[in-house]
Amino acid sequence: MAAPLYTTASGLLFHAGKILILTVGLPARGKTHISRALERYLRWMGVKTQVVSLGDYRRKTLGGAKKLPPDYFTLGEKSPETMALRKMVSDGCEKLIEDFFGAGGQVVIYDANNGSRTTRQALAEKYDKQGIHVIILESVCDNKEIIETNIRNVKISSPDYRGWDPDKAVKDYYERIRDREKSYETVEETTWPFIRIINVGEKIMVNNIRGYLQSRIVFFLMNIHNRPRMIYFARSGQSLIEHSYKADSDLSPAGWEYSERLKEFVVERRAKSLEQNGFDPNDRRLVIWTSTRRRAHHTAWPFLTPTHSTSIPQQLPLVASHLTVPPQSAVARNVVTTDEAGELTETKVTTGSSLKIKVIEKTQMCEINPGVWDGLTPDQARKFYPEEWARFVKDPYAFRAPRAESYHDLSVRLEPILIELEREKEDLLIIGHSSVIRCLLAYLIGLPASEIPAIEIARGDLLEVVPTSYGVHSQAFHFWDGPGRRGEGIDGDGDQEEVGLSRRDETNFYENYAEDTKGKKRMNAVDLGFLSPRIQEGSEEALADGT
Amino acid sequence: MNRPSEDHNRVHFPILSSELTAALGAIEDMADDTDAVLDSVVRGSPPVIFRAGGPMLKQFDESTASSRKGSQAPTPPRSVVGIGNKVAKPDYSEAKIVLAMVGLPARGKSYLSNKLMRYLKWLEYDVQVFNVGQLRRSRAHHKAQQSGILEDHTSNYFSHNNVEATKLREQLAEDSLEMLIRWLKRGGNVAIHDATNSTRMRRAKISARVAKEKGMSVIFLESICNDPAVIAANVALKVSSGDPDYKDLPREVAERDFLRRIKEYEAVYETITEPHLSYLRITDIGNEVTLSRINGYLQSRIAFYLMNLHVKPRNIFLSRHGESQYNVEGRIGGDSLLSERGLAYAHALPELVRNNIGDAPLIVWTSTLQRTIQTAAELPYPKLTWKSLDELDAGVCDGMTYEEIEQAYPEDFANRDEDKFNYRYRGGESYRDVVVRLEPVIMELERQENILIFGHQAIIRCLYAYFHDLPQADLPYINVPLHTVIKLTPKAYGCDEERYTLPIGAVDTHRPKPGSTISPPDVVPLSTSKREYFGTNVAFGK
Repeated sequence: MAAPLYTTASGLLFHAGKILILTVGLPARGKTHISRALERYLRWMGVKTQVVSLGDYRRKTLGGAKKLPPDYFTLGEKSPETMALRKMVSDGCEKLIEDFFGAGGQVVIYDANNGSRTTRQALAEKYDKQGIHVIILESVCDNKEIIETNIRNVKISSPDYRGWDPDKAVKDYYERIRDREKSYETVEETTWPFIRIINVGEKIMVNNIRGYLQSRIVFFLMNIHNRPRMIYFARSGQSLIEHSYKADSDLSPAGWEYSERLKEFVVERRAKSLEQNGFDPNDRRLVIWTSTRRRAHHTAWPFLTPTHSTSIPQQLPLVASHLTVPPQSAVARNVVTTDEAGELTETKVTTGSSLKIKVIEKTQMCEINPGVWDGLTPDQARKFYPEEWARFVKDPYAFRAPRAESYHDLSVRLEPILIELEREKEDLLIIGHSSVIRCLLAYLIGLPASEIPAIEIARGDLLEVVPTSYGVHSQAFHFWDGPGRRGEGIDGDGDQEEVGLSRRDETNFYENYAEDTKGKKRMNAVDLGFLSPRIQEGSEEALADGT
Repeated sequence: MNRPSEDHNRVHFPILSSELTAALGAIEDMADDTDAVLDSVVRGSPPVIFRAGGPMLKQFDESTASSRKGSQAPTPPRSVVGIGNKVAKPDYSEAKIVLAMVGLPARGKSYLSNKLMRYLKWLEYDVQVFNVGQLRRSRAHHKAQQSGILEDHTSNYFSHNNVEATKLREQLAEDSLEMLIRWLKRGGNVAIHDATNSTRMRRAKISARVAKEKGMSVIFLESICNDPAVIAANVALKVSSGDPDYKDLPREVAERDFLRRIKEYEAVYETITEPHLSYLRITDIGNEVTLSRINGYLQSRIAFYLMNLHVKPRNIFLSRHGESQYNVEGRIGGDSLLSERGLAYAHALPELVRNNIGDAPLIVWTSTLQRTIQTAAELPYPKLTWKSLDELDAGVCDGMTYEEIEQAYPEDFANRDEDKFNYRYRGGESYRDVVVRLEPVIMELERQENILIFGHQAIIRCLYAYFHDLPQADLPYINVPLHTVIKLTPKAYGCDEERYTLPIGAVDTHRPKPGSTISPPDVVPLSTSKREYFGTNVAFGK
């Protein structure tokens, strides 16, 4: 989470005051997906944000749908007991909202159906009177496929449908929400500023939205989508001089070896994941982002070259494309990606199937700049800059060594990349530096800023992150042991002693803080399962939300 | 296009060529050298290990030139050695957008077109405004010169009852659209169709025409203005700023005619409600924005930019830090403190600023480097520091003088002047990299009111080029002298500029492009707020 450029005494940012976002929409219209994504983004910007989910609250206090009286979700007259229960739930949520604002929170996203005009009017008026800026966020879906996918992937995995035939469960769920559709009143009132998202980002309508934070919210919402996809992270290969930013050195022999193993592994792993998730590999492509640093974009080099095999003639031509790296110079291409790419670089693999791959270099993805500590070992830095060293060790997130970037600076620099990350619809492989991967991963997972510098990403692990409606699901796969894996130079096969480089990896301490301080949070293949605690909660209940 | 022509022999790691083993040995030795160099430092800061001037970098480059040999894939580009290299422009060839304006006269259409053009051009998109009014005027002008026939361009011409003129105007709009499409096909990215496009029929035609072109999409941008004061100001600007339509006419007559022209348009005006069109509607610039069917990255950038605009009068002040110790020594980069004269500048600033803006609110922005913070120290205004405002990172050349760089790497040094904008210092940045990192600063600047920025030479150049729409090739040579405050006042069609140079001497750090006698822009201060009535590049659309 990148804290903001500045802080204020009130804890509120951008002169925006307090904001309550009321979601409006039928079940299975992506409200939760949108709410969670927005919460994650605003928190990253340093805005104190909280989703209050009516569905979650009801489940916590009243239990699952089976424990509710039969008239809880149906239309028409309700028994006094049911009315009391419903009031208890909404009062409870409002209490949560008020508590959060009372404790200095700035934005609350109230994730509920709010399908009745009178209900939302009453809510909006109540909070407007308290000086809170109310925004209505309606999520509308006229794409049956999106609704169905949502029901299949999220709703019917609830305990209510355990053991059901999926098709029957979907049918049952449709019946359960049909009543809700009858009473649903779409937002027509223009009393309050409102945003309407159609088909989770396909189209967006904005009315009467003013202010910077609000426009950031709109910009963000314009760039999200829920097309299923996979995001991979891998470190760049070992370079000749790991501890110098300035030297911008090329890959070491081990680094080149790594880059080829990486390609092989990504191709293999992705094929498996595509199959597991039932994605058609033919209508998907893989986009690779690297920084403009030599060690990073050269790690992507094997992806752009044909895979050789003795059975294939060596003259196998490369398919012409502007994306292929021209000789002689390292060329940075899209600093900002152009929209929806057309031609792609085809990489032929021996099996005869074709991989669609595109490589883009981004200048904002360079590793954290170590400033005056460039080229120094920890001992040397401690010796020459004792005071700065002490402060760095105390708060590696916020501390900026002379001429250097802090992790906070890096997070701010990466903000445009986050938007592009949200926007990307294809599968993505980010070949990055550990500092950059830390920040991006922290954003996706929702880790607090203070933990960013200590996330460990070992060279030779491939992280696979799959966005879900409640967060992300991530897994790490170990594919390579060799010089420079952990910067210790002892977990390889012994050859690196001969190579004589690996001992020096640990000296790249500014970028590789975790390695140096024996990081608190190791992301190994073993313990990296569900990173987000939210993931499991949501799937528990069929009617994830209710009024 | 690179064809792997050599080195297909698979040499497996770790079977290393003897050459490579030797190279790695050399790196080992260098590491020992590093220890030796650092051990000799008793106190103070250590020398920068990989500076271009030191022995290490060259030695390293020579030792690693062949590191790729140990691997099996075709050889990628040779590692860049030396102090930097030229970086190619990002590929925007797939972005092809028609942005068609919609709105009554005097609603700020041209203002928005111009703003957007400047912003997108600065981000290196190829943008052009196709203004139908300009085309009309320049054709009429041409006709008048050739044949002596003066066309009637008073409000009669704009009446929808005037069948013949309506036909002519339709024709003009269509011609202009064709020119625009031709231009996009030739490689443009964003073409702005600056016309009223006030009826559904007109918009349907544009939409249908653009749909015929593969890869092009159209967005309508409607500007609505409900504030009578703003409209009146726009009308006044129109009739008093030398519009040739009203040449030689008394102001009142011109104004009456122009208001009648607006009436003619109002009679047939239809606001956008077509549900299938992509559009953006801006009501009272900065107040309300409606987006519909806006898809795509560039489109969302445009929308975000437009949401952040405002038209409140304000000034932007740009200044470099006071003269620094490195300036005096002729060194680039670094994080040195101010010289005596630099401190004198910092001391004189509060009075200069107060005289200029009085009691109006002002926010001061500085970089994170000591010299800008020191320069702003005595100013009694709220201050913010931005990492993004730090000077262009000269990488391995940081802290050196140009003479030292030239001596150590004569060829590289000359290369930089060949294409300075695209030249990235090794381990550092190019001007393009700086533009990319300044983009959020520009966005913030558009939202703010009075701002005073203390930046650095390259930073101020980039910001200045944005406000004055200066070409990329000239950008790295803009002369931004020390101890000078540049005051920019955004106007409808550009910026007015004033400069205040304090009588405190300073070194001149400006290096003109070798071989050129004048440094662009050769007229300072610049004023780019004048409207172009005939257009310079649109000509007659033949």
